[in-house]
Amino acid sequence: MTLYSLIIENKWMLEVLYALLISTICTAIVFKTDKFFRLSLHTGIRYFRNAFLFFGAAFAARYIFGVFSDMSVDYSYLIRIIFEYLLVMAGFFLFYSLIWKKIESTKESYASSLFNAKIAIFHIIALIIAVLDNLWQTYYFMFLSQVIIFSYASIIAYINYKKDENKHRFLRFYFVAMLLGLTAWFLNLLAASYFQWNPGILINIGIINVIFFLLFLYGIVKVTQKNGNKKT
Amino acid sequence: MATKKRERLDVIKDILHAIMENRKIKPTRLLYASNLSPQMFKEYINELISKKFIKLDIDDKEKKTFSLTKKGQDFLQEYKVIENFIENFGL
Repeated sequence: MTLYSLIIENKWMLEVLYALLISTICTAIVFKTDKFFRLSLHTGIRYFRNAFLFFGAAFAARYIFGVFSDMSVDYSYLIRIIFEYLLVMAGFFLFYSLIWKKIESTKESYASSLFNAKIAIFHIIALIIAVLDNLWQTYYFMFLSQVIIFSYASIIAYINYKKDENKHRFLRFYFVAMLLGLTAWFLNLLAASYFQWNPGILINIGIINVIFFLLFLYGIVKVTQKNGNKKT
Repeated sequence: MATKKRERLDVIKDILHAIMENRKIKPTRLLYASNLSPQMFKEYINELISKKFIKLDIDDKEKKTFSLTKKGQDFLQEYKVIENFIENFGL
């Protein structure tokens, strides 16, 4: 039995483990960054934390609750909308954490970073995308929106990396992580559009996603080490 | 020579550092140490008090001084780490 066929035969179990892994990574990232936010009250950290809160919730919703549901039509419909909404919002928050300084003034202060005047537009767009995908029984709107989001985020990450002149090593990894995220979403779009959800492509997308999240966790752990805290 | 405008986090660090160096510091002295306009100083101080980074003490002679809370001390200890995190993630 090849590794590939082993994966295909145990698809259900691997999906649950995959979701658990990503949810766990996201939880660790949220706890670490929430601590920094509570001390610094820095808006960028706040939105960055929200991104991984939504990523973790999305994977938990889709795989864990979806797998263990009774799979009635109404229930799976609801799970799918929730999953898409959370995932799209996560992408929006990650992108917004890079651009918030250009949009919010330093004097603006919101009691909630999850629901405020600036973020409301993201919630509306995410809900529209989730509902449209469900009406058309597709994932195209979500995939396309995330390809666009991650394309812009990759460009911004690259600009930040080039401007920095190698003072902060993780900016290079951040750019790589954004490219990986973009690649995963683009492959999702291809898998849905041209390759009939080829299991081989989906497995590779899963691997890329895991690397994406591990890269962020690695970065957070590395740059926040206190011992000889030098510019990383 | 033009100086770079301080980020919000840097201003908070400077204020807390000035308080820490003096243990208890009068408002006027802190204003000069913070290098802020009176209006901006008032905004920052109100925020720091509301978020419990500092506290305002009034003695028997009604003299006011600022001192650091535990949360303010924690911030100063973690400041370099937080600054490093923000710069490495482009936030």
